[in-house]
Parts: sequence; structure tokens; C-alpha cells
Amino acid sequence: MSNRRSRQSSRASRISDDQMIDLVGKLRQFLPEIRERRRSEKVSASKVLQETCNYIRNLHREVDNLSDRLSQLLDSVDEDSPEAAVIRSLLM
Amino acid sequence: MASADKTINTDVPEKDVFAIHFLQSLSNLRIQNLFNSPDTTNYRVRKIKKAAYVSMARAAGGTSRLWSRALLRRAAKGNNKIVRFPRRKRKVTWKISSKRRRSDQRAPVVEDAAERLRNLVPGGGGMETSKLMEETAHYIKCLSMQVKVMQCLVDGLSPK
Repeated sequence: MSNRRSRQSSRASRISDDQMIDLVGKLRQFLPEIRERRRSEKVSASKVLQETCNYIRNLHREVDNLSDRLSQLLDSVDEDSPEAAVIRSLLM
Repeated sequence: MASADKTINTDVPEKDVFAIHFLQSLSNLRIQNLFNSPDTTNYRVRKIKKAAYVSMARAAGGTSRLWSRALLRRAAKGNNKIVRFPRRKRKVTWKISSKRRRSDQRAPVVEDAAERLRNLVPGGGGMETSKLMEETAHYIKCLSMQVKVMQCLVDGLSPK
């Protein structure tokens, strides 16, 4: 297993650690919280990944809540209200 | 700054693409007479949530992304449908099993966090870490777009 490392560094086509850092940096841009902070480039990769996990979990939770509210709203629409007309025109 | 040899494309379609796909899914649900029947609320909510994820996967490029393929495959399994994916022409990449992943040689603290990320992103279990980053970026963008669409819909339908 120890010779795998030397073999790996000789392959030019694999993504190197530098490119990995670059990728993580790009990923950072999509995280709203880290983007707002004025930090140097040296944010640790694990922190970025952790923030990403939290962000994804938040988004999943948002989808759950919104599905819940949508389900209630679509169910409780009066037949004659303008919302019903909108729904009918959109969904039919 | 070290730049990657290949530019990584994480473009997502416009919001209206997501909106149209989602509305189509909802109208399919309506055709199944889901909204007028006295079904259990939970069932309805789960159907809407599933429609949201499936329409997001379709809007974001269907089978051209690993996470959307995994999502669609998972959803189709739930429906007991047989899904055929067209054979993609792609460069030969080795399918790396979780035991012998090359990324084991990165810093272990990064790999721990990456493992948690793998559980969250659909299809993450089979991806190498750098591919996982790329897929995560795209997934996050699409998810936030989908959330925006749903929020607009809820706002529009809420009584003033």
C-alpha cells in the first residue's frame, strides 16, 4: 500500500491536491455564510465541508416545510377564489 | 493560483425551467385526483416532496449528472418502474469501491467530513472525493433554485 502514493503522484491526469484546494475554494462560493465573512483563503477544507453538510440539511428541511405548506394550501383552496382560478389555469 | 486543467461546469438552468417541471409534476398529481380525495395528509405531503425532488432532477439535466441519475433511479425504484438510462459515452473511469478509494490518502479529517457529505448527496457513495465536490456544488445550486420556486408558489397561494 505504501507504493501507491509514489505511483499516484506520477500520474498527471489525476486531480492533484492543488486542484483539490481549488475545488474546495469554488465550493465555498456557494455557501452563503462563508461568503459573507471576510476571511483569508486559508479556510480549512473540513470546515467548508461541514458548512456544506449543514447547508444541504437546511435545504432539505426547507423542502420538507414547503411541501407541507403546499399540501395544505392546495387542499384548502376555495372553489371560487382567485387562487383557484390561478391554480386551474396553471395546472390544467 | 493553481487552476484546474479542466474547467468544471456548474451551470444550472434558469428558475423558470425548474418552475415548469415542478408545475408539471403537480398537475400530474392532480390528475391522479390526489387533492380532492380525503387521503391522509402525510401521503399527500410525501407525494409532493417526491414530485419536487424528481422535477428538480429532471430540470437540472436529467441523466447527465451523477446525483440526478441516482435520484431518479431511487424514485423509480419506489414506483417499481423499470428505468432505462441511455448509455453515456464517457471516458473510462475506474469505479472505486469504498474500501480502496484513492482519496483515502488525503487528510483523514477531510475524508470524515466528505463521508458525511456522501450520505447527503444522492449517489455520493460511489464518487471519488473530487467528483463529489463538483456534484455537491451543482446539487446545492439546484436545491436552492427549487426552494425558491416552491417558496414563490407558496407565497402566491397564501391568502393575503
